Amino acid sequence: MQVKQWLGPIAYLRNMTSVNLAQDLPLTLPEHKADDRLTLLDDPQEWASFSQNEAGQPGCWASSVVFEGMHCAACAISIEEALRSVPGVKSVQVSAASHRGRIVWSEQETRPSQWMQASAMAGYKALPANDAHAHERRRQQARRMVWRVAVAGLCMMQVMMYATPAYVAEPGDITPDMVHLLRWASWVLSLPVILFSCTPFFSAAWQDLKHRRIGMDLPVAIGMLGTFVVSSLGTFEPQGPFGAEVYFDSLTMFVFFLLMGRWMELRMRDRTAGALEAVLNRLPDSVRRRSADDSWERVSIRQLRAGDVVEVLPGEAFPGDGTVLTGQTQVDEALLTGESIPLNRQAGDAVIAGSHNLSGRVELRVEQVGAATRYAQIVALMESASVHKPAMAELADRMAKPFLIGVLLASAAAAIAWWPQGPGHAVMVAVAVLVVTCPCALSLATPAAMLAAAGALARSGVLVRRLQALQSLAEVDTVVFDKTGTLTLDSFSVSALHVRTGVTHGDVWHWAERMAMHSLHPVSRAIAAEARQRRLQQGQGGDAQALPAGWVLTEHPGQGLSVHWPASDGFQRVLRWGSATFCDAPNGPRERLQVSLADEQGWMATFELQETLRPEAIHVVTALSQQGLSVKVLSGDAPGAVELVARSLGIDDFRGGCSPQDKLAALQAMQKQGHRVAMVGDGLNDGPVLAGADVSFALGQAVALTQSQADMVLMSGRLDLLEHTLVRSRQTLRVVRQNLIWSVLYNAACVPLALMGWLPAWAAGLGMALSSLLVVLNALRLSASLGRNS
Amino acid sequence: MDILFLLIPLSVALVFFILGALWWAVHRGQFEDIEAEGERILRND
Repeated sequence: MQVKQWLGPIAYLRNMTSVNLAQDLPLTLPEHKADDRLTLLDDPQEWASFSQNEAGQPGCWASSVVFEGMHCAACAISIEEALRSVPGVKSVQVSAASHRGRIVWSEQETRPSQWMQASAMAGYKALPANDAHAHERRRQQARRMVWRVAVAGLCMMQVMMYATPAYVAEPGDITPDMVHLLRWASWVLSLPVILFSCTPFFSAAWQDLKHRRIGMDLPVAIGMLGTFVVSSLGTFEPQGPFGAEVYFDSLTMFVFFLLMGRWMELRMRDRTAGALEAVLNRLPDSVRRRSADDSWERVSIRQLRAGDVVEVLPGEAFPGDGTVLTGQTQVDEALLTGESIPLNRQAGDAVIAGSHNLSGRVELRVEQVGAATRYAQIVALMESASVHKPAMAELADRMAKPFLIGVLLASAAAAIAWWPQGPGHAVMVAVAVLVVTCPCALSLATPAAMLAAAGALARSGVLVRRLQALQSLAEVDTVVFDKTGTLTLDSFSVSALHVRTGVTHGDVWHWAERMAMHSLHPVSRAIAAEARQRRLQQGQGGDAQALPAGWVLTEHPGQGLSVHWPASDGFQRVLRWGSATFCDAPNGPRERLQVSLADEQGWMATFELQETLRPEAIHVVTALSQQGLSVKVLSGDAPGAVELVARSLGIDDFRGGCSPQDKLAALQAMQKQGHRVAMVGDGLNDGPVLAGADVSFALGQAVALTQSQADMVLMSGRLDLLEHTLVRSRQTLRVVRQNLIWSVLYNAACVPLALMGWLPAWAAGLGMALSSLLVVLNALRLSASLGRNS
Repeated sequence: MDILFLLIPLSVALVFFILGALWWAVHRGQFEDIEAEGERILRND
């Protein structure tokens, strides 16, 4: 079993390079070969599967690993300490909530086996995170957990039955023989609980003791052992110092409640980790590639290079970013962009790695593979976000250790104080103190909520790069938008058409289309597209004709186009298309975007254009204002154009003509007045501004994700997600506060009760389990899909 | 009441028997996908 578990990741990697080594290896490697198994990971080919080159530090790798045996925040701290002591390890971040870690190490000084060894020595096995194996391991873990809960539950019920007579009978009702028999039976059924169900608590506590540190399982384990010893003595030595009282019912009950709580936590964590893993493991292992002689061969995805042509069948995932060459299909990009509707893709369209081919066979030319794909960037972002510790969580972590020491001291004091009333009773009071305190609720309060929220956001296509940003976003009171590409799309639409008297709109559109289609200027292209649209709506199909023979097209750089041709009546006819001066247009408001048409009689028509607003922009701006936020626009574009867009969205506070420095200065001025500012940009050219804001959003369609400075990326480019994200962040902060308040109140209320001896051990176990469960359940409310409860 | 001296040890044995049955059920994976059985009625096959 052990060996198989260890071979998992390696076998998986071997499969990927189509050599099945796992079957050739003996299944029972001797235990002292543990190091050899780790050293297999020292091959650069192997470590590349769970590591990425760290940007900005040549020769350094950032590895993602999953830790086994972690329980709490204190574990995260000791793993971090153990790994930092390895020379060559540059930085370590471990997340207690997700059991994942990110280790940056230098390839000149160390190897994965060395720091994995260090982690194993500290009592935590590190496994490469990027493998299918983690799923199997979790399944095993869940199965063992269910079994532990079942054993504890069944034994608890039966022990309770044996204990009932002792509670209800009057003295003398039961014969001493019978009492003794019932105790014996209880003892026998408590054995599986203490020997099997409790082992996770004991082994974790033992690890803590061995490494001279304090963890959350230590008090619980002492409590279990204490209860069992006192009760066993009561069974076999009724005349001993601890008296004849037995507490098997309390023991089995609080073990059952604690395990129940752990199991629920495990299930919930698996749900979030499962969502992450679903994204992580979306790439296929192998693909069918067209080889030089035009035949298809199956190759490992790692042998795929940019420029290869591959075949993707329905149901398969795309192995890299690329362009469809032949075929037509629908693709599902839901996990990567949050776009829930299947998208049509045909020859010439781009597809992204990790999205799913739904309906038809396609061939595609691969353009990006491996770490260069958008998919890999998303995964890297999600991984780094999931180990990032929000400030509130760090505070809770620091408080955990002194808190635990306090608990141990308090229970010792309780035992001493109650000793004169009977040693058996004193031990049980101490046990109640040990069991009832719930530091796990404290340390879970923040990360559980933030991870749940980040998971829900990721499913909707909002990537959270720093969990801390969720907290900052909830406190924001001002939202600043960039204009181009953020409030507007990168296209134009006709807002007004002025014509010379006697000319019909139909004629103007007809000529405008013929002229505009010969220009690549964005304005011309917008008009050509709109004209074509009108034609199709009026039922005149087909494409506009090319110029007939004899028509001569002349380009006038910087001014426009002209066409002249001999008309049937012998005159030379001319059409001009371009700027107002080029077409002798009458003076109008010049700051608007416009294009004019003229014929030989002079000016004929002027099209006024404006940038196309994002369809959801007006709704988002209204919604944000309704929530009490002030909405502003800062743009580098011409003030007139900015005003037009701002006014049409109902935004009164706008500034155009800003350089990036101006924007940053304006932002800092707002922050100086005490405002918390969120900046929304396209993420391309406003890096410093985004970095200066309290929270920043980038619309992520065109952005290289890893270069973007933004805290959050709206991957599908839908602006309305901004509002949902804001609502969710406020909910998150509310939940975090509720959780923290609850755990403080709970501990403050229960510890004195236990010290007074008013809290039996089983009630203490129930209290602790319910308290952690409440915190996790409360956090889980945040993982509902976005927009459902807003 | 003497019968209790037989019944109580028997109940202990019964618990171990039930535990054995549970072990079998857990390790056959019967508790891993609890929703699937309920949804089966909605499927065509």
